[in-house]
Amino acid sequence: MLEVEHIRVSYGAAVALWDVSIRIADGELVCVVGPNGAGKTTLINAIAGINRIDAGGMRMNGQSLAALPANAFCNHGIALVPEGRRLFVGMTVRENLELGSYRAAARVTRQASLERALSIFPVLRERLDSPAGVLSGGQQQMLAIARALMAEPRLLLLDEPSLGLAPTVVLDMFDVICQINRTGVAVLLVEQNVAIALEIAARAYVMEEGRIVAEGLPKELAQQHYIRRAYLGEG
Amino acid sequence: MKILLAVGAAVLCAVPFAGLPAFYETFLYLLLSAIVLATSWNLLSGYSGYFSFGHGAFFGVGVYTTAALAGQLGWPFLWTLPLAALAAMVLGVALGAVVFRVRALRGELFALLTLAITFVLSTIALNAVDGGPGIMLNVDMPKIAPTASGVLYLLMLAAAALTLWTAWAMFHSRFGTGLFAIHDDEDVAEVMGVPTYRFKLAAFAISCALAGLAGGIHAVFVSYVTVAETFSIALAVNVVLMSALGGTRHWLGPAVGAVAITVLLYAFTSGGAAVAGRALSGLILIIVIVAMPEGILGQILKRFGTKKAPARPVIRDPVSANPRKESAEPLLVVRGAAKAFKGVQALAGVDLEVRRGEILGLVGPNGSGKSTLINVVSGHYAADGGSIRFEGGELVGTPAHRIARAGIARTYQIPRPFAHLSVLQNVALPARFGHAALDRAAAEREAWYWLEFTGLAAKADAMPDALNLHQRKFLELARALASRSDLLLLDEVLSGLTPSEIDDAIRTIRTIRDLGATIVFVEHVMRAVMELTDRIVVLNQGRVIAEGLPDEVMRRSEVVTAYLGKPHA
Amino acid sequence: MGRAGGEDHLTVPSATLLGQSVLSGVFIGALYGLLGLGLSLSWGMLRQVNLAHFALAFLAGYLTFQFSGRLDPFVTLAVVAPLFFALGMALHWFLGRFSVTLLNTLLVTFGLTSIIEAGIQWYWTADFHRMESAYAAVRWKVGPLFVSLPDLLTLGFALTLSLGMWGVLRFTDLGKAMRATTEDAPIAAAFGVNEKLLGYLISGLAAAVAAVAGLCLALNHTLAPVQIYAWMGVVFAAVMMGGVGSPVGPLLAGIVIGVSEALTMAVSNPTWAPLVSFSLLIAILLFRPARLS
Repeated sequence: MLEVEHIRVSYGAAVALWDVSIRIADGELVCVVGPNGAGKTTLINAIAGINRIDAGGMRMNGQSLAALPANAFCNHGIALVPEGRRLFVGMTVRENLELGSYRAAARVTRQASLERALSIFPVLRERLDSPAGVLSGGQQQMLAIARALMAEPRLLLLDEPSLGLAPTVVLDMFDVICQINRTGVAVLLVEQNVAIALEIAARAYVMEEGRIVAEGLPKELAQQHYIRRAYLGEG
Repeated sequence: MKILLAVGAAVLCAVPFAGLPAFYETFLYLLLSAIVLATSWNLLSGYSGYFSFGHGAFFGVGVYTTAALAGQLGWPFLWTLPLAALAAMVLGVALGAVVFRVRALRGELFALLTLAITFVLSTIALNAVDGGPGIMLNVDMPKIAPTASGVLYLLMLAAAALTLWTAWAMFHSRFGTGLFAIHDDEDVAEVMGVPTYRFKLAAFAISCALAGLAGGIHAVFVSYVTVAETFSIALAVNVVLMSALGGTRHWLGPAVGAVAITVLLYAFTSGGAAVAGRALSGLILIIVIVAMPEGILGQILKRFGTKKAPARPVIRDPVSANPRKESAEPLLVVRGAAKAFKGVQALAGVDLEVRRGEILGLVGPNGSGKSTLINVVSGHYAADGGSIRFEGGELVGTPAHRIARAGIARTYQIPRPFAHLSVLQNVALPARFGHAALDRAAAEREAWYWLEFTGLAAKADAMPDALNLHQRKFLELARALASRSDLLLLDEVLSGLTPSEIDDAIRTIRTIRDLGATIVFVEHVMRAVMELTDRIVVLNQGRVIAEGLPDEVMRRSEVVTAYLGKPHA
Repeated sequence: MGRAGGEDHLTVPSATLLGQSVLSGVFIGALYGLLGLGLSLSWGMLRQVNLAHFALAFLAGYLTFQFSGRLDPFVTLAVVAPLFFALGMALHWFLGRFSVTLLNTLLVTFGLTSIIEAGIQWYWTADFHRMESAYAAVRWKVGPLFVSLPDLLTLGFALTLSLGMWGVLRFTDLGKAMRATTEDAPIAAAFGVNEKLLGYLISGLAAAVAAVAGLCLALNHTLAPVQIYAWMGVVFAAVMMGGVGSPVGPLLAGIVIGVSEALTMAVSNPTWAPLVSFSLLIAILLFRPARLS
């Protein structure tokens, strides 16, 4: 479904991604792990259309994404849950959700999407008219995910969803992510909580310094020294 | 060069005695007045970047001071001039003292606030001083020239000379360097030791005083002073226009622009043409802002200016000048440091110590508070609570520039060089303003030393945007080193570097420690952390969760969990 | 103008005078709000401080005046407003094309103001002009107080446009998209919001509102090129006090300023009036700058 081929992304003179290729099949849950500065967020932002690629190509269901303006990516069924949530804090929970379904195709099914999102995250129902900024960290993360679901995505991009959350909240949240994936939505998960990421993913990539250094089944990667070396500096 | 100046000065002074028609004296007077106003405006607004739209207000204060004292009260005209300057200066200081303290008041807000001041002052002048019909001045002129206009010309010539000299002196002084740093990045300048508040206030005071002086002279020139004429917006805009046109980064730029605009406007003096003149100046302003950001002079200097290559000094060892104080006391003691941003508790009570001469690694997962801790220790942010003691003195509540003076320097994770200063100037600045507090020549030598040390000597004259990431990171390092601080806080210097560049960096950092510095090293590249550090402190969610020897700490279960997470079930 | 110096004293006005003052303060405040609406929107949402807004309003006022002999002012407005919409978009394009920073938009638009003001003076001279229209003659008596039609029109326009804009921002998808883009443009784009299009829409709208303000200016006040600058200060004060980016804020703040000024004038020397608004502004800037941008 998603094919990212040999992309290169830079910020001014500094190259953040060198020749990165990944693919995600329909309904797959794929995770990308790696230490800070590896380029994981840059990768996700490139797929979401926020970062422009200098070289290489991206295709969603065969259609090229390369030349599209930033606001056209969501029309291909890509929805983003950004690192740090990046909610519209001046707007209410309801308005954030409505913004999620801004694109024309999602607007028509807004009510149904809203109901579905609220059934997945019931805690948001009581807070529909609160400003997004007063929610707790965990609630904000839920809202960010719900906002993305409102766009009726085929591919959900999650950038470090566990950042800043208490451990129990993290467990619940990953349960929900699996639940969403089971409904057929593909998920690309970038996570620093490697253990959980590897547990729920069907396939994993390991990134270091702007490159993919390993790819494969989570069980295999966990055994190998890549993970521990990259994160803990052993070996 | 000096002879040329002397001859020029003599010619200028001789003008009133040459028997020229009054038109020329008037034209030259207005030209000189424009030079004074534009140049004085530039002292704050061009040098430091705080655009003021209120220059007309301070000019007006000068006008009304002289008008009131000489015109209404009959004081001798010349005595009112210093008072006019003083009145304007006092007002400027009063305004600046309040405004510059407010951190959020930058850029466009300062511009609009100063615009508002113009209206306030004009109202006060109208009601309290003028009463409405204006003030008539019939003063006795000192007999230093054959005609009254000649006298005014000479006075304004003196004012122009004073202003230009001030601009030149400031441009070449430590004060000016600090202002230019404030222009590029005020927060970083403060952290490197520039007393930003004091400098801004001083520049504003000088700028206002000179405007007031020009105003005092002008009161007599027009001889009939009204509020509408004095406090017009035109002046406020013209000084911006002249400076922008000539070039705000050079002391002579505004004067160039002033000459250009005055000549232009004079060509359009008659009736309808004055209107065309205003339209033309508006058009020129737009073109200049859009196409020639450096102004005429700036553009010329860029094309034809030959940069004299700074003399490369003999390399000497700086260690001898920085004796390490031997002491068993820890250098830095942090107790209960707390910092919250909009509800997120970035630091939730951090306790740690940094011992002299060690390399302490500060690690932790993303969002654990490492950068925030560096920011709080260096004074970039103010801590909400807790205590940070350095060499026995308390840092919490101390302004960042004093922390820099005390002997703490830091690098920025994303390099923040001063964009308009050369690489050499970037490194020399902390040497002048930081812990080392060297004079210009010594600071430059120091900068050269550290540029050689970090391998950037060949790029000394280049601008920061010509450097690649690796070089910019090393520029950050050189800046931190040049201040000869006792404590160096290195924030992710290695991220983004290739493996061989990382090896280079590791060697360099070891050498720095051997030279006597204590280093706190925030890093994600674990290989480097393991090789370099004597001790490691692990942060997670704003707290210290482990501390000890590198190999031992990174194997502890709570650390592994913090990084890799506990598996579900 | 002011009385000859020395005659200042506070007078206690009659209730009618007070009432009339408050009323006139409300109406002038409405005009401040109307002028401030476009300014507030482009400053808050587009990060462009458009000083030329005032010159544009005056230009519209002059055009209305020019054609008042042959065309009803509202007809002129119907022609001028779309024209100004296009002008607003063109200005936005220009500022974007040259990547003009926030501070520099102040300077560039000031240059534009000079050009427009010079153009106005060249065509209509520096003399004061007062538009004669049938509307101005219509007045009503409400109790002891007088209200004129132009006053009501101004208030009507101000309320309609400000509240209308508030409603659009609050309730429509488009408005929510605008608010989201202002807060976090890249993420809004990730959800399909077309930042460029919105930018043109807002800048065109701001300029069209300037045209309406111009009509009200022509109806209620005398026109002179030098007046362009006189309004600048007060309206900026209203925008900053009301909250940059807020559609209704400048109207409320404008009315507060207008009424304070009117009361000051009724109670003491009229020339103290400008001090009121600016002192309020300075106080706000110093004590609550967080409200701004």
